[in-house]
Amino acid sequence: MKARAASLLLMAPALLLLAAVFVYPLLRYGWLSFQASSVLTGLEPVPNGGANWGRLLDDARFWTDAFQTLRFAVCSVALELAGGLGLALLLHRPLRGRGTLRALTLLPWALPTTVMALGWRWILNDPHGPLNAAIRSLGGSSYGFLSTPATTWFFVVLADVWKTLPFVALLLLAGLQTIPEDLEEALRLEGAGRLQILRRLTLPLLVPYLTLALLFRLAQALGVFDLIQVLSGGGPAGSTESLALYAYLNAMRFLDFGYAATVMLATFLLLLVLLGGGWLLWRRERAA
Amino acid sequence: MRLLVLLWSLGPLLWQLRTSLLRPEALVAPLLEGNPWTLANYQLVLSGDPPFWRYLGNSTLVALATTLLTLLLAVPCAYGLQQQRGLLRWGVGLGLVGAAMFPTVLLFLALLEIARRFGLANDLLALSLPYAGLSLPLAVLLLRAAFADLPVELEDAARLEGLDLGQRLRHVLLPLLGPALASTGILVFLASWNEYAIALTWISRNDLLTLPIAIARIGGGSVFTIPYGAFAAATVLGSLPLLLLVLVAQRPIVSGLTRGAVKG
Amino acid sequence: MAARPPLSSLRRWRSLPKLLTNALLALLSAMCLLVLLPASGLSSSGLPSAGQSGIPAAAAEPVTIRVLMPAPLADAVAAPVAQFNASGAGIALEVIRGPLDTETISDLATGSLLLGEAPFDLLLVDVSWLARYVAAGWFEPLERWFGPEVLAAMEPGARLGNGLDGHLWRMPLTGDTGLLYWRTDLMERPPRDTEELVAISRDLQRRGRVRWGYLWQGRQYEGLSCVMVEVLHGFGARWWNGSTARTELDSPEAVAAARWLAALLQDGVSPPAVASYAENDALQSFAAGDAAFLRNWPYAWREIEKGGGLVKGKVGVTAMVGAPGEQGGGTLGTWGLSLIKGSPHPEEAVAAIRWLTGPVVQRQLAIEQGYAPTWSTLYDDPDLQRRAPLLTVQRQALQHPQLRPPTPAYAQLSDLLARQVNGMLTGQGGPGPTMAAAQRQSLQVLRSLAGPAGDTAGESAGGRPAVDR
Repeated sequence: MKARAASLLLMAPALLLLAAVFVYPLLRYGWLSFQASSVLTGLEPVPNGGANWGRLLDDARFWTDAFQTLRFAVCSVALELAGGLGLALLLHRPLRGRGTLRALTLLPWALPTTVMALGWRWILNDPHGPLNAAIRSLGGSSYGFLSTPATTWFFVVLADVWKTLPFVALLLLAGLQTIPEDLEEALRLEGAGRLQILRRLTLPLLVPYLTLALLFRLAQALGVFDLIQVLSGGGPAGSTESLALYAYLNAMRFLDFGYAATVMLATFLLLLVLLGGGWLLWRRERAA
Repeated sequence: MRLLVLLWSLGPLLWQLRTSLLRPEALVAPLLEGNPWTLANYQLVLSGDPPFWRYLGNSTLVALATTLLTLLLAVPCAYGLQQQRGLLRWGVGLGLVGAAMFPTVLLFLALLEIARRFGLANDLLALSLPYAGLSLPLAVLLLRAAFADLPVELEDAARLEGLDLGQRLRHVLLPLLGPALASTGILVFLASWNEYAIALTWISRNDLLTLPIAIARIGGGSVFTIPYGAFAAATVLGSLPLLLLVLVAQRPIVSGLTRGAVKG
Repeated sequence: MAARPPLSSLRRWRSLPKLLTNALLALLSAMCLLVLLPASGLSSSGLPSAGQSGIPAAAAEPVTIRVLMPAPLADAVAAPVAQFNASGAGIALEVIRGPLDTETISDLATGSLLLGEAPFDLLLVDVSWLARYVAAGWFEPLERWFGPEVLAAMEPGARLGNGLDGHLWRMPLTGDTGLLYWRTDLMERPPRDTEELVAISRDLQRRGRVRWGYLWQGRQYEGLSCVMVEVLHGFGARWWNGSTARTELDSPEAVAAARWLAALLQDGVSPPAVASYAENDALQSFAAGDAAFLRNWPYAWREIEKGGGLVKGKVGVTAMVGAPGEQGGGTLGTWGLSLIKGSPHPEEAVAAIRWLTGPVVQRQLAIEQGYAPTWSTLYDDPDLQRRAPLLTVQRQALQHPQLRPPTPAYAQLSDLLARQVNGMLTGQGGPGPTMAAAQRQSLQVLRSLAGPAGDTAGESAGGRPAVDR
């Protein structure tokens, strides 16, 4: 009993900091979302009933952004899982210089998002970026990749996949390493081909890792902020704006803290619904 | 296949390297024209006000302080959590998983208020406080898995020899946790090195900016056009420490994740 | 390497990572050392207080005053600032070059001010930010130093947008308004109203003299709101009713204004691309000879004349036109200096304001960048008239400038109007529904901003029109 109390004491500092960083903001947002705290109130909170939530329900921009964020997250995470699996399988094979190869493929993940977001902006530059230079040297004419909604969206997804695919691959690689080689060997002796081994052995055993990567990446992708702020600024015409960016604009540009808190809390609740479902699925999978 | 993978991963970075070595007028010249290399962009970046190494230094300082603080808090917490049973253990564990997945950008507004209330703005060491908080969930989860891997008999034996908790942690358990500490530390280091939203709202003084903000400001804060050459040079300079780190550390990162993930 | 190694390999598993750990620790400590050198210097620089950051001088330490400006303006005032610093006033004026884009520099300033310790004493403030910044309590009123007689020496339009709630918050540095650019080689005189503008355009287009008629800013951003202010006024509508502190975007006149803009695109007077044009894009196209008319700010004229474009020397400038029978008026887009609350050296900062908004600097800005001065005497100066040929038109435009809604909630109102109108321009809805939606959303925003006593709170905090001082 004494030992348990002591161990509780050991946890206290970390739990306190966690409470300050995670629990306090959520409580604070919950309270702020029922206040007008804006330039019209001198930045002081004044209760405004449920006006923020009423506004949220009728705010076409919020729901458009929610849809755009979800679309972005689903597309990029799907691509990352598929590509990450391929990369993990490749990196798992005994190759010459595997360590260096692993490190080099990991590099995009290690770099700050903003750094490469600007890098992509240069690559997509109209007309001087390499992509447009290549198009011109093939006889085409320059294209404004970042001034058309469809291509901007595509490259935002591509930039996200480029950066986080290595992370997914890493997670899956870790999973691959837990699969005993003799099982694979046994299947091979039974005459199973590569694809069959993948389908019958590797994938089923990777399911917990795939689910973990899925949940983790989905949560991060639904909160996408810095990539979009730097690469497209949410444009053109708001077509790539994410919920997090909208919340940021409400707070920092409009100085509307009440509504910003509402948007953040709503985003969190949406996420909870999505991930809660995923989490339950994962538990069931693991229990099975 | 390997070549293809490398091209995908490194292509955009190599393009930045090329850009950083060209004069501005060469950037708008046709693609395949021979152009002389130059180090002018690097000179520009390194002699800026404040010079670029200041940002590198700021980021390194924050990331190191965060890593240290996180490990200092996470090790006892992970150990304590491992000792708990029942609802508390389950609840804290679930909370940690939830927090680890939380998109940190949603926290910036409340954290900004905290910074203002307690005068923590524009202080690199204070910035490591929220960073440590954000890194703690993952760190505790990874370290708890590592503690769980240690044989129980080991600690029992140490206890019988009369070592108290602190001694047991320091002399028996921690030495065995080396790899897990290293991999956790690296992950925390990378996360705080790259963090954007909190740094964006906590730091307003130009000479205290961390690398991601400073680089984003080169682009967003441009006059007429983005100085792509200088920016590319900054990218290359900013990437070198990370390249080094990843080259040295990819093995502990992979092994650390293996252990944490299954148990998490 | 397997993650769950067989027992026999345990030893190897433990020793290898240990080696790596040691290497890492060495690396980290090396980096730490590297950092300590610059880190020790961090604390002694950059604070706004002069005691720590002023240049040490034997006799009198000059007080450092920092001012944040968009880079082009910062560059334009560099020479006068150097002159000021050498004048022995005991002030070291330091200009921080901010980003060019108005919204980006506002974000930067807002971020600093929200934290409660801004790294600057003075801020160059766009007219559209003023109400918001004042409501946030970030500025120090200036009437202690600048009485009513000071502003009386300025052009009437330049006096607008500096005062609020009976206080003076900003000293204007420029007197810019939106202007109509026209091609002197294509027509004898500029149009007098919107109908003439369209008629001339279509005639020129039909005769193949020019590809497009009228270029303006239709991208979803603040520039489109500036266009809307002009068009709304030109059709007798108004965006903001100061006495009720409400928007009036769904009035028949407002819908007519929106219909005119939509028709410009439908009838091919303006290219579909204006829906993605900011000032620069429109200017670029006009300078390439693509169109007969352009809506832009005064600096565009310098840009056209400086460059070697096709239309150089063939461009006239006039005040913005309205519908027949209505008085046209350009949107007021002035910059001015405000004093940050909590600046440790208000007296020195005000001395810097006095110098920076004085005739010497304004003269330089007019000659080099085409910015409109605010002082009436400068408009009467024959030498300046010769070197800045736009002065007459600029003065004329300053007689009827249009203010954007002087409410702290302007940023949101502008954002949602620009979003709606851009939607209309890209074919997502007709003028009627567009303006109705903008009106509905505007009222909703105002309600959620102001609390349950929505309308009265709005009136007391944001409803008062800018005071002429």
